[in-house]
Amino acid sequence: MSSDVLSPGRLAIFAAVLLLVAAVPWWLPALVEDYWVDIAAEILIWSLFAASVNLLYGYAGLLSFGQALYFGVGAYGVAFGLQHFGLGFWGSMGLGVTAATAMAAVAGIFAVRLTWHYFSIITIVFGLILYLLTVGAKDLTGGDDGLSLSLPPFFSLGGVELDLFDQATQYLFVLFFVGLCYGAMWVVLRSPFGYGLKAVRENAPRAGLIGLDAFWLRYAAFVMAGFLAGMGGALFALFSRYASAQYMYWTVSGEGVIWTIVGGAGTLFGPLIGTAALIVLREEISSIWEHYLMVLGVIVILMVTFAPRGFAGLIEDAVRRLKPTPSAPPRSE
Amino acid sequence: MTNVMEIRGLTKSFGGLTAVNGVDLTLPGKELHAIIGPNGAGKTTFFNLISGFLRADKGTVRFLGEDVTGLPTHKISRLGVARTLQVKSVFNGLSVHDNVWIAAQSRSRFLNPFRPAHSYAATARKVDEVMERAGVARHRDDLAGNLSYGDQALLEIAIALATEPRLLLLDEPVAGMSPEETDRTVATVRELAKTVDVVLIEHDMEVVFDIADTITVMNQGTVLRQGTPAEIAADPRVQDVYLGVPEDDDAEG
Repeated sequence: MSSDVLSPGRLAIFAAVLLLVAAVPWWLPALVEDYWVDIAAEILIWSLFAASVNLLYGYAGLLSFGQALYFGVGAYGVAFGLQHFGLGFWGSMGLGVTAATAMAAVAGIFAVRLTWHYFSIITIVFGLILYLLTVGAKDLTGGDDGLSLSLPPFFSLGGVELDLFDQATQYLFVLFFVGLCYGAMWVVLRSPFGYGLKAVRENAPRAGLIGLDAFWLRYAAFVMAGFLAGMGGALFALFSRYASAQYMYWTVSGEGVIWTIVGGAGTLFGPLIGTAALIVLREEISSIWEHYLMVLGVIVILMVTFAPRGFAGLIEDAVRRLKPTPSAPPRSE
Repeated sequence: MTNVMEIRGLTKSFGGLTAVNGVDLTLPGKELHAIIGPNGAGKTTFFNLISGFLRADKGTVRFLGEDVTGLPTHKISRLGVARTLQVKSVFNGLSVHDNVWIAAQSRSRFLNPFRPAHSYAATARKVDEVMERAGVARHRDDLAGNLSYGDQALLEIAIALATEPRLLLLDEPVAGMSPEETDRTVATVRELAKTVDVVLIEHDMEVVFDIADTITVMNQGTVLRQGTPAEIAADPRVQDVYLGVPEDDDAEG
């Protein structure tokens, strides 16, 4: 629990990293081509999707292969809001996130009664059902071709108008919401609720014996994960001006699982690291070799075999080796 | 005064096997009660029934006068029944401190998702005290999964204690322990029994006759005899059960 307390040193490092991340639109184009700023925004968005997998798998012990469903509902909420209901920018974004959360609140009632592979299977089934419905309702959803969106500005007052067509503005817009979500996760995971989740993950029968209601803890995590994936989907629709059923397919869910595991399940920033690493890899390799997935497969096998705690685990070990545990009390044995 | 636990006609069958068969048991409280009996006598099933792991086919369980039959484990736990398991069961991936912390904090009905866990001063004090009492304080920052078997057993007791139970059910607390670990655990249990009602299942007769105030002997799912250690030791039927002489099931239930 000592690691939950923010020391001034840690706070300083964190502030420096945050500043560096926020300044991406200004320093990154100096090093690489401009479009990498958009890739950075895309990484942030998909990391939220991976974070929703991580909240379930890394903290509640539930391996979901169906988070793409909530990502898709988030994206289509935005698309429907803009194209069908005329809700405007913020209304559409709110609709996307709310719809995804509500969807998780309904699906969760059934899903979290199950655990282990039964849970994984039911999440795939839910995802497939909604995918097929979405593809089927082509008139409304555009199916696999998707819906293109025309975005209004998100802020206009007097003569000032802000929209997502400016690369730096869009990046900061995405960073703001992704940052809020990570902040919320940080608060929740270091709270008694977060410890309750970990207890259920580690040993559900024992959790019951100390008075924790595993069903409600898992359910709450499931709904929160739906919110995170929905926020990711809504941001992605705004970012790409596009919503499509292809992002609801279960292989997309599988990618979220891979990002999480490679990055480090059960750590706050593991999914972000994993998503960043693998999206950068995809961008770099897929342009020179079409069999990007083979490379990905090898990396996943290597990580799972030699670094089961992912990149976050490797970083943690490296930091520990550099600093011979100044905070730990001397062992008396 | 209300009895701590009152069990009437408790029955549980698995297919054709009746593991617990019409058990009546009254625990008046303020004592250390031991349940003994040969393997397969139904002791652990009996614990599973009263702690909510299993649902009884028939019968009632009353805890401090309240009917708890058929309640889920977490509700029974909240009423004040804590339990350790025969196969040690802790939160392996969490530190010893965090194991005890979540048990202590679980007493509050609502697990606040907004307040940092380390800001609960009362819980922190309780955790330190319980770790000290159960003898696991020196392992505070170790992962529970890395502890020795004996230390895991002590941690289980610490977890149980942190829930501030009024009744503590211990399932073979010293099984698989070294003599030193056994001595330490026996001392801990004896100390606990001064403030908490303890029921323990144990095969180690030396331990049982050393610490128990009263003993229940189970055999083939029924209660064979209940009494003080002296009465139990002198009962020829109990001796028969342990020496393996065929027992007449209808003799007493």
